[in-house]
Amino acid sequence: MIEVEHLTKLYGNIAAVHDLSFVGRPGEVMGLVGPNGAGKTTTLRCLSGIIPPTRGRIRVGGHDLGADPLAAKRQLALFPDEPRLFDYLTVWQHLVFTARIYQVADFASRARSLLEQLELADRPHALPGELSRGMKQKLVIACGLLHSPRVLYFDEPLTGLDPLGIRRMKDTIHRLAREGAAIIISSHLLHLVEEVCSHVLILHRGRRVTFGTLDEVTRQFAAAPDASLEEVFLRATEVSPAGADTPPRP
Amino acid sequence: MINALLYLQWHSFRNRARARLRRLRQPKYLLAALVGALYLSLILLGPHASAPSSGRPPDIQSPAVSPPLAEMLGALLLLVLTLGAWVFPGERAALVFGEAEIAFLFPAPVTRRTLIHFKLARSQVAILLTSFIFTLLFNRHRSGPFWTAAIGWWLVLSIVSLHRLGASFARTMLMDRGITNWQRRLAVLGLAAAAGAAVLVWAWQALPPMSQDLWTDLPALGRYYQQVLTAGPLLWLLYPFRLVVRPYLAPDAASFALAAGPALLLLALHYAWVVRADVAFEESSVEASRRLAEKLAAVRREGSGLGSGALTKARRPPFALRPVGPPYTALLWKNLIGASRLFSSRFILALPVLLIAMLLPAVDLARRGGLSAAVGFAAALFCGYTVFFGPQIVRQDFRADLALADLLKLYPLRGWQVVLGEVLAPVVVISAAQWLLILVSVTCLWHGPAGPTGGGRIAALGLAAALALPALNFVLLLIINAAALLLPAWVNPARGSARGLEVMGQQLLLALGQFVVLLLALALPAGVFATVFFLGTVLGSPAWALVLATLVAALGLAGEMILGLLLVGRLFERLDIGHEQTP
Repeated sequence: MIEVEHLTKLYGNIAAVHDLSFVGRPGEVMGLVGPNGAGKTTTLRCLSGIIPPTRGRIRVGGHDLGADPLAAKRQLALFPDEPRLFDYLTVWQHLVFTARIYQVADFASRARSLLEQLELADRPHALPGELSRGMKQKLVIACGLLHSPRVLYFDEPLTGLDPLGIRRMKDTIHRLAREGAAIIISSHLLHLVEEVCSHVLILHRGRRVTFGTLDEVTRQFAAAPDASLEEVFLRATEVSPAGADTPPRP
Repeated sequence: MINALLYLQWHSFRNRARARLRRLRQPKYLLAALVGALYLSLILLGPHASAPSSGRPPDIQSPAVSPPLAEMLGALLLLVLTLGAWVFPGERAALVFGEAEIAFLFPAPVTRRTLIHFKLARSQVAILLTSFIFTLLFNRHRSGPFWTAAIGWWLVLSIVSLHRLGASFARTMLMDRGITNWQRRLAVLGLAAAAGAAVLVWAWQALPPMSQDLWTDLPALGRYYQQVLTAGPLLWLLYPFRLVVRPYLAPDAASFALAAGPALLLLALHYAWVVRADVAFEESSVEASRRLAEKLAAVRREGSGLGSGALTKARRPPFALRPVGPPYTALLWKNLIGASRLFSSRFILALPVLLIAMLLPAVDLARRGGLSAAVGFAAALFCGYTVFFGPQIVRQDFRADLALADLLKLYPLRGWQVVLGEVLAPVVVISAAQWLLILVSVTCLWHGPAGPTGGGRIAALGLAAALALPALNFVLLLIINAAALLLPAWVNPARGSARGLEVMGQQLLLALGQFVVLLLALALPAGVFATVFFLGTVLGSPAWALVLATLVAALGLAGEMILGLLLVGRLFERLDIGHEQTP
């Protein structure tokens, strides 16, 4: 469960995120969409405790990220768009390292299973420099899933993956949601959001334009009920004056 | 076409310069630039920079090193460089371009010759700058005008640069004709050996035999080698190289004009050789440029060129990391794996052998004094150096990991735990090296000039140093890491866009700040040390007083370590990466 109340992040006088509130429940997959510079990545970084919010409150799995960051961080995993790995640790050493950080006592069997699932089982001694971008992405996923997080954030999760990898990533997201994880996906790929997400939050210039289920958002912005999310997105971000939380219905 | 490339070169240079000037609007960069400029001007233009001064070691104007000898020595150095260009490299010719240059220029309708011209034009920027700096630095060693020295350096550097490029093209052509690297190396070394043999035979026949006394009489040995260098076949073997260095060594404008002609002719010949070579370098260039980009990325990530570059070999972990236990140990484990790249497996295998080899003769010679004392003092001195240079070499802490700070912030760890995990690896590595040096030093000095009674004192001193240094390393690295968290761009400029004069100033200010903080941190433990040592000396033996005082002072330092750890941990928790990454 993710609860965000009045989240604001300022850089000087510029509000990267302004007064953002929403709730992500277990089993829900929320698509965080918005044009470039809308504040998606900043939001994800605040939600994962990487950068402190200027104002507002974030609760992850029932733990306040500001007051009890360790308990909150044990519940979450962030998968950035660019795989961040240690150059000098092998695939297996990354998992050993992550297990110690998150205190995963029975990590070995779980790590082997994750490597099998992610088709990395035959490369345990490879360094990141020897892996393709997609394989690096898979290693990041293996490390992120090792401690069985209940809240997952994906930033452009399909970048660099081959068609099979994309299919598997979508399946993984569906499976994790079915298992009760609360998931947020930040992406420009609206067809991915349409296919995978149950909810959508559209950000524009750091402010929430709309938030709801796919159907609710479509009804709010499109004339036809079967309009694509792309159409909804374009209308929502074009017609909404910055600052309006709920733009007028078209 | 070349105009477009020159346009690219000029505008890239101009925009970079503008960006640097714009950055000076920020007070910290302006202050740093002023400090850097002051430092550079003191080094380059200070009272001792240009004019030859008394009391210096003999230079080319002194009788000990006459101009012909200087010419021969310079030519010999160039010969070695030239041989190196033909012997060591094994790759095909590759002109290194930036990634953007490859993306734009390689698919464009640009001829190879134009690309070579572009590279040559660009290399001239670096050559001109280097010539200027070398002239400022080395002009004190010669009596000629400034401008002849500058042009002389430019000629030397340009010819060397062109020769290396030409050699790489020739190497590629030989490889295309089926001549392997080893065949080429053997041929070049064979020629060099034949030339060396000719010189030896001449020296054997023409010069008086070297007496045993010659090896103990350094001036006589110098005169012997001067004869070898300035007469006989070497004089002719080195002739083309002498032509290259002659303009730089010219004492006046007239002799410079005479010397410049042949050097310019050599330059023109090299230029013709390079631009007329029709060698396919594109594929190798793409590969070389990729390697350079990887190396730069590693430097940006790790803040040090040491051990950077594309990693190809996994390192064995220093110990087995269990999944449960203090989480900061994971960071220590990770950083020790990273630090192990500084020490190759060959080095680690050779280390015990090296240590025994160092200790055995030292023990044997300790009875006679002399060399063992020298080794002992050298080890102690080197141990002292490691306190200041160790942290600059072993950088597997926040300085390496700040580029991955978002990952560290994601971990469910307290700030102090992250700081402890980060700082421990360099402390462990440096302290281990220091203990090794202390062991060598104490062993060598045990029976040294202090005599048998001095052994106890030496051992006490060694024990005191072994107790104090880890705590001192920890405090020092804590200060360095605190600076890294406070001013990330200053500690690791490769991460950001900061380069140039202001970086030099920043480093100076930072070093000064760190020194002041270190002095403050050491003030209390030093006071405690002095008090306990004084009381111990009055009441008992100075040796034990030294150990006891160091132990108490180390405990004081440990208290500061805990306090510092909590403070720097808080600093890490408050570090806002978003602000650091926002321009």
